[in-house]
Amino acid sequence: MEIKKQLMKRQVAGETFLVPLGKAVYDSNGLFFLTEVGAFLWDLLEKAESEEELVAAVLAEYDVDEATARADINAFLTKLREMGIL
Amino acid sequence: MTSYTRTEPILSTFLHSRGAALGLPIGGNFELTARCNFNCPMCYVHLKPEDVQARGRELTAQQWISLARQARDAGMMFVLLTGGEPFVRSDFFEIYSAMKDMGLLVSINSNGSMIKGEILQKLIDNPPYRINISLYGGCAETYERMCGPNAFDTVIENIKALKAAGIDVRLNVSITPYNRCDLQRIFELAKELEVHTKASSYMYPPIRVTGDCGHRLSPEEAAQCAVEWDLLRFTPEQFAMRAQNMHQLLAVENKECSVDPDVGVSCRAGSTSFWLTWDGRMLPCGMLPSPEQRPLETGFDAAWKALREQTRCLRMPAKCVSCKHREVCSVCVAVCVTETGSFDGVPEYVCRMTEETVNATWRAYEERKENGN
Repeated sequence: MEIKKQLMKRQVAGETFLVPLGKAVYDSNGLFFLTEVGAFLWDLLEKAESEEELVAAVLAEYDVDEATARADINAFLTKLREMGIL
Repeated sequence: MTSYTRTEPILSTFLHSRGAALGLPIGGNFELTARCNFNCPMCYVHLKPEDVQARGRELTAQQWISLARQARDAGMMFVLLTGGEPFVRSDFFEIYSAMKDMGLLVSINSNGSMIKGEILQKLIDNPPYRINISLYGGCAETYERMCGPNAFDTVIENIKALKAAGIDVRLNVSITPYNRCDLQRIFELAKELEVHTKASSYMYPPIRVTGDCGHRLSPEEAAQCAVEWDLLRFTPEQFAMRAQNMHQLLAVENKECSVDPDVGVSCRAGSTSFWLTWDGRMLPCGMLPSPEQRPLETGFDAAWKALREQTRCLRMPAKCVSCKHREVCSVCVAVCVTETGSFDGVPEYVCRMTEETVNATWRAYEERKENGN
């Protein structure tokens, strides 16, 4: 999947944030917060070719049923697309 | 399971709160230079080039970048580049771009006069998180009187250009004897420009430079200007609420047993933020002359740890802590030490300013009530 904006993942105070770099400041003008699973997905996004890959990775890593994982991943990707990040 | 939201102000508060518990330097202020192309008499930093040489040496771009990298690794997320006027440094963008590339949210304090041409374009190409412009007056004459050069038109044009590019601009206004006559005009200008504006009529004694307090308003005048500004910026309802709140806070008696006598630094200074002076000293905030650390000699981590320890030991004067105006007074340890030379000193200027602020606010409220507003 293609990440369109310049964002740097940083861990501060035990939490994960995305910081806009370059012109990405114009669209975001602030920090983005990622939950633990959001950060896990973020690391996989660039190499993942499909949503299915992400679902498989989450199921392998977390104790969660497939329907919940699928719904949450879909919501996460939809949000990223709405924000022009993906 | 997953949330992904844009809530920067909340995240900023959250980060500072978490940082305070963990001892992290979440915000850093980098005073890149003491030089400035303006010459405002009340400035607490500005030195002439020959004085800069006599007092020390400005850090190089590489030194600033190295300190920023160490601070970033220790948890810094927000950085403010300030001065003097930061754009007088010919290597400003070397420092700025390196900090942005580190994943820092970089803000800039500037007088706005140099943000045109190449400088403006570089900012448009790689925008800061925010630019805070110090607006010194509402007309050319005031600028000339207060700053030296008449840069009013240029500053206004530059603010418009930044805004047009989509860069977040805020205005800071320092109210002094030189520009107090412009207060209404400044307010209207800020409104026309559609820029959030913060005004302050309290000027710290500039103890880091001349120590000359002759360029600020009397405490009573400063209070009256503060109230004038409140009357401009608040709706009648908001102003009435402010007056009533003040009144209520003062009506609460400070019973001895309910007053905690052990009050230290209550802001972020030395807790989650630090100030690096142009010559490389680390302070809790730019106003405090001490405690200080030397991160270039000890490394950032050791300096930050020591500064936190030292800041934690600072205490407010007992008289201030138990004062009946405590809840409506903006006194802090930096005010005490800059006003009196001692952390134990009660800053009489601020006592008088607070008292008059309370009285003037109430007078204005009563007047408005009588006039049906």
